[in-house]
Amino acid sequence: MKNDERLNLDSDRTWVLSSLEHDQLANAKKQPIARRNLKGPELFVLWALRVYVLFMMTVVGYQVWIAAH
Amino acid sequence: MNPFSTPAENEVVITHEDVDRAHDRSRVATARARRGFSSKARLLWLLVGPGVLVMLGENDGPSMLSYAATGARFGIGFFIPFVALTFCMAIVVQEMTVRLGAATHRGHAELIFDRFGPFWGWFSMIDLGIGNFLTLITEFIAIRAGLGFFGVPPWAAVLLALVVLYAALMSHRYWTWERLTLAAAVFNLVFIPVALMTHPHWHAVGHAFITWQPLPGFNKDTLLIVLADIGATVTPWMLFFQQSATVDKGMTTKDIHFGRIDTVLGAALATAAAIATILATAPLFAHQMTADNFQAAEFAQALEPIIGRFGASLFALGMVEAGIVAAITISTSSAYAFGEVAHKPHSLNLPMGEGKSFYAVLTLCAVAAAAIVLIPGLPLVYVVLVVNVVAVLAMPPALVFLFMLVNDKEIMGDLVSPVWANVLSTAVVFVLTAAGVLFGISIIAPNIFAALGGK
Repeated sequence: MKNDERLNLDSDRTWVLSSLEHDQLANAKKQPIARRNLKGPELFVLWALRVYVLFMMTVVGYQVWIAAH
Repeated sequence: MNPFSTPAENEVVITHEDVDRAHDRSRVATARARRGFSSKARLLWLLVGPGVLVMLGENDGPSMLSYAATGARFGIGFFIPFVALTFCMAIVVQEMTVRLGAATHRGHAELIFDRFGPFWGWFSMIDLGIGNFLTLITEFIAIRAGLGFFGVPPWAAVLLALVVLYAALMSHRYWTWERLTLAAAVFNLVFIPVALMTHPHWHAVGHAFITWQPLPGFNKDTLLIVLADIGATVTPWMLFFQQSATVDKGMTTKDIHFGRIDTVLGAALATAAAIATILATAPLFAHQMTADNFQAAEFAQALEPIIGRFGASLFALGMVEAGIVAAITISTSSAYAFGEVAHKPHSLNLPMGEGKSFYAVLTLCAVAAAAIVLIPGLPLVYVVLVVNVVAVLAMPPALVFLFMLVNDKEIMGDLVSPVWANVLSTAVVFVLTAAGVLFGISIIAPNIFAALGGK
């Protein structure tokens, strides 16, 4: 296994960069992807999901309440 | 607009994780450059993994118990082709995660966080984390019950499972972890020899596949089993796990074809194991044995007079394997999701020092779930029920985000779903969502379904 010191060699850098796609590198993946610009139908879906989440929390809360009693 | 921003080449820092992944990709590139059948076979060998693991991982303790109960209650008939159909639906959904992972090199939780904002990112992670933790408890219940068949005390059973889980992690290498887990997962097929020992009525099996008959009586219990089977076919951890594993494996858009083969292969193996389990317990139906409240080891005990001690032992070992493999994959999916949302390093290629939070989440989830199973007097049956409710209710948000992401032209480019695939996946998402909601309603208000002419 190569250690971090050896990773700094140009030959290793070249080999790794030629083996991986640029956005596969761990460092590149630290960059966040831009936020999506949501339009009408997508906003509606997300609001529907919020309502669903409330339903879901009610169901799970009810289950926990039943268990506690 | 390109939503990805990457540093300039001269600013790139190469990490240990990159070197490990580059090794894997070099082997794939070498195999791809060669011609001939053996090179294609080697390429397939190098690229299978996430799909087989996710499908055989889904054949977990509770699922195998559910298939065993199906065989014991309904025998050979409608549920044989029905189970195969549910895995076809799983293929449609899981294929989308392969494309997403290969095209974006990001995990599912990370994409939700970045594209839809922190609220949905954290919601998905917490939702997944709770569901996964409860499911992990059920896996350790299966392991405990399965090893209990051999007289292994509960503390030793869960300790053994934790040792296996930790041993797979010790290499700090995705490739090694994947191969070790695959080797364990293939043991899921142990239900096939068990089924053969029962001398199944092959004519009835063929008849069931062609005609979907005999149909079970239509009543509340049957409906609940149908809904539970559909709802349990694709669970949230599967989406998160396969996409994250595809990314960790380093798969690219060139590998999508093999990713699909991997997914179909996994589904075929999982279907074979699931149907074998139904066939294995079908003799209990023929002997009019009531198996409504059977646990994992009790099925093995009930089968012993029919298939002997060896066959019953294989059945119990199959339950143990199902629990262990699911515990490994589910705890890994939690660790991936946490790292993706918290922006901490998350890869099985990370050395322990660089991936402290990743390995800590993975280990803590498994150890805590194992410890809970050992609490005396814990209402384990109730835990299993809550797990089912949480799992099916958590599916609709996960499926909606999956569908929106896979049709996101900005991140997917030309790999967005074609119209025919969208029609198919919309139908599957609708069926899975409806089944999940109906199942949830049936749990909180069982009397609603009593009007369907049943008990």
